[in-house]
Amino acid sequence: MSGIEAIVIVALVAVGTYLSRGAMILLLADRELPDNTLRALRQVGPAVLAALVVTFVADPSQANRGVSLAEGAALVVSCGVHWRWKSLLVTLIAGMSAFWLVRGLSG
Amino acid sequence: MPSSTRSSLLTRIDRDAVREGLPLLVPAVPFGFILGLEINNSLLPTEAGFSTSAVIFAGAAQLAVVTLAGTVSMVTVVVTAMVINARHIMYSAAVAPLMTKQPLWFRLLAPFVLIDQIFALAVTKRHYDAKKFRRYYLTLGAMFFLTWQCLTILGIVFGDVLPTSLGLGLAPALMFAGIVVTMITGRPAAIAAVTAVVVTLITLDLPNRTGLLVGALAGVLAGYLAEGRQPQ
Repeated sequence: MSGIEAIVIVALVAVGTYLSRGAMILLLADRELPDNTLRALRQVGPAVLAALVVTFVADPSQANRGVSLAEGAALVVSCGVHWRWKSLLVTLIAGMSAFWLVRGLSG
Repeated sequence: MPSSTRSSLLTRIDRDAVREGLPLLVPAVPFGFILGLEINNSLLPTEAGFSTSAVIFAGAAQLAVVTLAGTVSMVTVVVTAMVINARHIMYSAAVAPLMTKQPLWFRLLAPFVLIDQIFALAVTKRHYDAKKFRRYYLTLGAMFFLTWQCLTILGIVFGDVLPTSLGLGLAPALMFAGIVVTMITGRPAAIAAVTAVVVTLITLDLPNRTGLLVGALAGVLAGYLAEGRQPQ
């Protein structure tokens, strides 16, 4: 692959990525948004992050696709711990510990 | 560096951002190493592979670029990366109301670092005033951007030393799941999250992770409809 071709690919993806992240900020930030739009935007956080969790755990591109018992246990523990203590560090430690423990016990 | 400049820099660092951002940096370590390893295996020149971290700064899209470049057409590489990044349009729309009182320079800079982790943390700070939000966001942006550059270099040099058996790839999912739970402050948000999970699972086999987008959009629609039906 030529250097020019590499630069063009990286530049196009860089510009596209910036626009995907910036277009709405630059278009909408100065406008008074209608209630209907704000109502929809309030759902973006929980919906996108929940969908992201599923794709991370049950990644179809991985050989071990689907949710294993250890992964399921780790998710439940993480949700409970974060709901109770609201600390990402505690959530990370508790969730990964649950994952390793259940994975070890289930062989 | 003069001590006054150093103390001025330190006072601009938001401690909440550091405390909340650090745990989300941990899972970036194996990802950075994997990316570095793939840059070494890529048909892209190493310098171009590394430059993806500096100018694209989007882990999954970078991975697509370095693994696909040279093996498929240029258009396919770019389109694949854009499809993977399409969720950022929703992030951008969701944080737009938080940018109303921000100066133009910040609105132009902020999108560059609007990655999953920063979105997940920043979107929960709607109650911050403009200045505090800006400091929080910039601290997170600098932390994640600088760490990602270092990890990419370490990955290129030492990519194959980190054991994959630790399963650290699961860590972002665990923390995002925790954040989702705290975002569920009512029935509409709960319906949005549950719908997104179910639809994403059903559409998991769609190419280029488009199931993520379909699931997220279904979740937004379900939450929107549920909030409309709530008594005022």
